[in-house]
Amino acid sequence: MKQRQALPYTFILPTFVVLAILAFVPTIYAVIISLQDRTLSAPGADFVWFKNYLQLFGDRRFLNALWVSLKWEVITVTATMAVAIVLGILMFDATGPRMRNTLTLIFLIPVLLPRVCAAFVWKFAFHPLYGLVTYPYRALTGKTLDLLADPNAAIFAIAFVDVWQWGFFFAVIILKLLEALPPQPLEAARLDHAKGWQIHYFVSLPMLRTALISLVFVKMIESLRSFDLVYVMTRGGPGVSTETLDMYAFSQGFIESGKISYASSMAVIMMIVTLVGFTLLWKKVK
Amino acid sequence: MGRTVSRIVLWLMAALVLGPVVWTIINAFKLNVDLLTPTPKLFFNPIIDNVTYVLGRPSVLQGLINSLVICISSVAIGVVFGLPTAYAVARYPNRWTEEIQFFVLSLRFMPPVAVAIPLMLIWLGIGLYDSQIALIITYSLLTISITVWLAIPGFQRVPKEIEEAARVDGYDAYAVFFRVALPVAMRTLLGALAFSFVLVWNEFLMALMLTTSSAKTLPIVASEMSQLGMNVPWGILNAAVVLLSLPPLLLLGLLSGFMNSIFSNKSR
Repeated sequence: MKQRQALPYTFILPTFVVLAILAFVPTIYAVIISLQDRTLSAPGADFVWFKNYLQLFGDRRFLNALWVSLKWEVITVTATMAVAIVLGILMFDATGPRMRNTLTLIFLIPVLLPRVCAAFVWKFAFHPLYGLVTYPYRALTGKTLDLLADPNAAIFAIAFVDVWQWGFFFAVIILKLLEALPPQPLEAARLDHAKGWQIHYFVSLPMLRTALISLVFVKMIESLRSFDLVYVMTRGGPGVSTETLDMYAFSQGFIESGKISYASSMAVIMMIVTLVGFTLLWKKVK
Repeated sequence: MGRTVSRIVLWLMAALVLGPVVWTIINAFKLNVDLLTPTPKLFFNPIIDNVTYVLGRPSVLQGLINSLVICISSVAIGVVFGLPTAYAVARYPNRWTEEIQFFVLSLRFMPPVAVAIPLMLIWLGIGLYDSQIALIITYSLLTISITVWLAIPGFQRVPKEIEEAARVDGYDAYAVFFRVALPVAMRTLLGALAFSFVLVWNEFLMALMLTTSSAKTLPIVASEMSQLGMNVPWGILNAAVVLLSLPPLLLLGLLSGFMNSIFSNKSR
């Protein structure tokens, strides 16, 4: 009996300690760096306390990056959920077991691809001169179409790739969730002559409310990882129109000036906002 | 009627997934002359040179070895620390386990840049920057936490009766875990491990910041090929992309099985 009481400790405690070290050492160090004036070129560092943070709020490029990141979150989360719900319901309503299995396998492919690969594949497809996507436009108008060089369209082109990766994956999850629902309420609605979309709008989707909110939550977290796509497709350009926070922090720290303390202060702000924001959201959802 | 339209939409969507993927594979066998055409070319003289060039490059081979060593090691660390914790959370729930679950989840909230900058300085400071060990330790944070999360439902699906029966037969708590729960949940757990592998195989930002030459992983090597200058060797790039995407795609069957067992009716 004693062993049974001891097991949770021996199984959880070591893991907890390892995770805590791996997580807290870098985070605390990140805060310390953000209070200094470190650069990549010079070895020494002095404490400048909150100078980096104060400077950030006068930095128009930082404010732009905040705005771009916010836009990115809203676009990718809503589009992913919309695509996933529609496709999930279509699969649930209109397919037999064989087609369903085939589609499930196919729809899982995009999310498994390394983001770098997905970004490259679509970057080439969007290529103004040789791309597959831009080909119909070239053929019809004889002009070229450069989506990634258009300050207004670029963010949508990148978001498209993100939704391509996550929307199909979530569609499969929503299909599985629909399959796991008890069939009686849907049957009852059908007997009451509810139409296909009405059944889902009034019965099945409300039953999946908690699961759908969790999916939104997961997508919000994963959308924060936009870096790979942006880095490969536009590097934040044209201008700064697709420069998200992590892209800007990376270019401040590593491409342009090597100001790693400044980059770190940006990263710390991101961390605080996401930690506080998501913790509150999660507790509320629970 | 509606059913037919729905099916057509779904097949079009499947084409939207497969089209670009197949096109990339085809392009991996093209010369630049066939690749850089205003009208996409379906018929051409396929060549194997891109593939042999990519496979023959020392940097690619090095990246492949690095990726394999780093991913397999960090997934293994994730197993050693993650599976016991997941089992304890699944089978011995108390007021702490929910907090622990949330703590593990909250690790995912941390922006990778925020972790990568201090880690770079730490690894530089102790002379491990640009080493496989540094990346393995860094990635362990990812693999342990995702293994905990995905393995919990796997263990919850093991029928309690089996574990009770083993206990009656005189197995102690640890033997129940190692010799009963682990083998019974194995299929689901393999799926969880596959997810963990794909996650680190695809990781880009931290690898980019924590390596410069000797420990570069395959995603970094592949992305550098696109910056080879004005004459981008598109065919070679396509071949590299295919090579990089193969391991995750090979796990497709395992992952799809995992999705089925996780979301199937809980009452089994």
